[in-house]
Amino acid sequence: MKTPANPFRPIPATLEAVIPETDGIKSFIIRPEIPFDFICGQFAELTLPGVGEAPFAMASPSTKPDTLKFTIQKAGYMTEKLHALTPGELLGVRGPYGNGFAIENYFGKKLLLVIGGVGFPPAMALLHTAIANKDKLKSIHMCYGARSPGDIVYKDAIAELRENIQLDITVDNADDTWEGPVGVVTTLLKKDEIDPHTTIAVVIGPPIMMKFATLRLLELDFKPKDIVLSMERKMYCGIGQCRHCMIDHYFICKDGPVFTYDQLQESPDIWE
Amino acid sequence: MSERYYIGKAHWLSILHGWSDKYQIVASQAFGKEFFFMPVDESKFNTIIYDQIRTVQPLKSFLLPALEEVTKDQIDEHKPNLFLGVKACDLHSLSIIDKAFGGDFSDPGYKQRRNNSVIVSADCSDPRPSCFCTQVDEKPYAMSGFDLNLSKIWDGLIVEVGSKRGKQLLEGHDKALKEVVKEEAETQAKIRHETVRRVQANNIKYKFADQYQSLFKEYWDSSLWVKHSETCVECGACNHACPTCHCYFLDDVTRKVFTKLRGWDSCHYAGYAVTAGGGTPRPRLSERFRNRYLCKFSYLPANYSQLGCTGCGRCIDACQGKIDMRVLLSELNQGVEE
Repeated sequence: MKTPANPFRPIPATLEAVIPETDGIKSFIIRPEIPFDFICGQFAELTLPGVGEAPFAMASPSTKPDTLKFTIQKAGYMTEKLHALTPGELLGVRGPYGNGFAIENYFGKKLLLVIGGVGFPPAMALLHTAIANKDKLKSIHMCYGARSPGDIVYKDAIAELRENIQLDITVDNADDTWEGPVGVVTTLLKKDEIDPHTTIAVVIGPPIMMKFATLRLLELDFKPKDIVLSMERKMYCGIGQCRHCMIDHYFICKDGPVFTYDQLQESPDIWE
Repeated sequence: MSERYYIGKAHWLSILHGWSDKYQIVASQAFGKEFFFMPVDESKFNTIIYDQIRTVQPLKSFLLPALEEVTKDQIDEHKPNLFLGVKACDLHSLSIIDKAFGGDFSDPGYKQRRNNSVIVSADCSDPRPSCFCTQVDEKPYAMSGFDLNLSKIWDGLIVEVGSKRGKQLLEGHDKALKEVVKEEAETQAKIRHETVRRVQANNIKYKFADQYQSLFKEYWDSSLWVKHSETCVECGACNHACPTCHCYFLDDVTRKVFTKLRGWDSCHYAGYAVTAGGGTPRPRLSERFRNRYLCKFSYLPANYSQLGCTGCGRCIDACQGKIDMRVLLSELNQGVEE
């Protein structure tokens, strides 16, 4: 997509649908005035006029630039206002920003996704691309951890995903309906099932989950360069100027959000 | 040797009057013991002082306003600015701001103001105790990056041409341009040398490291950060007074159109890096305080191949808590820890 003359001016977009996912999570389908070409793992700055702006990763496939899907947890002022929206409202979108996943780097390897909570939406964009390139990957395996069965997003998509990938789901706290594994996501990473030398691991989730997933992968003998992290920080500009998102000298918005662990491992505060 | 001339006072004033047809002359004006960049009326051209210390406000105030609507089309309402008497410490900060705002996503407002502005720098011969340009490999006079540079010699100026635009500024003033004679060149060198010596003498007790990347890693959790931030009131004055600090926030202001305001931010503010969920990588003041040092001496050099500090000393003068960056940097270098 052509870089706009003024990078601060959003592309107007119409909210087409709002899909409740869980108690505090909704998906938003928006149609920008002009197609929004992106690669999976990139993000957009979503503007709610008069309210604010925040970065969110696209959850929809990159092959569909006309309508974008964002799955958003109610977490603060801006997301609370977003959750109150109804279809037809005007939003703005800037971007796409960030580097995204370099899927070609994973070709010929097994792809392992270690996903926690609302890390699922950006993982979904990656899964769309990975499944489209399934013949170039040895396998696709996703380990997903949610707090409880009620916190699992994209429930309707899980059966279809399982036709294409191995999808293991665990919950921290089970209820009567839950028949699957119980425990944090790292309990799904079993030594005899994962070959660290032929696998690329992609970790997306809350910081604490990403920390322990990375430590577990290292314990399984993964090389730091084979651990891919999608990082998150407070952001304003999205274009490598305002410096709010920095980890060490990296701009999460521009140099990331996708990093390999070997890039960040020397930085003392990456999991904060 | 670059192109340079000696211009006497009377000729210089007539040149300034010529420039003021096309440019708004923004020069250093005295208020008490301090100096501020202000638009100067033609009637006051003869009061402009060239060789004093840098102004209180950094040059970025004009090129990157403290609050600005960034979503509107840029409109030229005024004459472009001609900054007169810019000190080397401000001039060198511009190359950082240029890289930050002129990269992959060029900032239209900054770009327009920067391209339209003329920079006429001037040697500093009046350093303060807070000045430490020589400690960060800078000089109190500019060697490049200006359109014209001025060195005050007796009643006149040695004018050095630094750009095509600078050359154009002197066009039509041939009569005013005299060859620089030996005594003038020697006097310029002597004043420059003496100013360097004075800055060095002011800083004799501070011992900076050649580079800080590895020291910061070693002293990541040092009590030095806590000790030196004890009097910090998180006002952000050091950031706002700094010529290279350029962090900003964006704010949406109206419902009808996509209008965004950009304002200067400060990494000392507790909310600076707080995410929607309430998390922040730097919850403690000492960590936010540390961030400015990391940014200036580690991150900015990695991003833009240049130290983020030009030694202007504004952060020292601006600090309500009397925090002096030089003391901390020396203690880090010398391994002093309590």
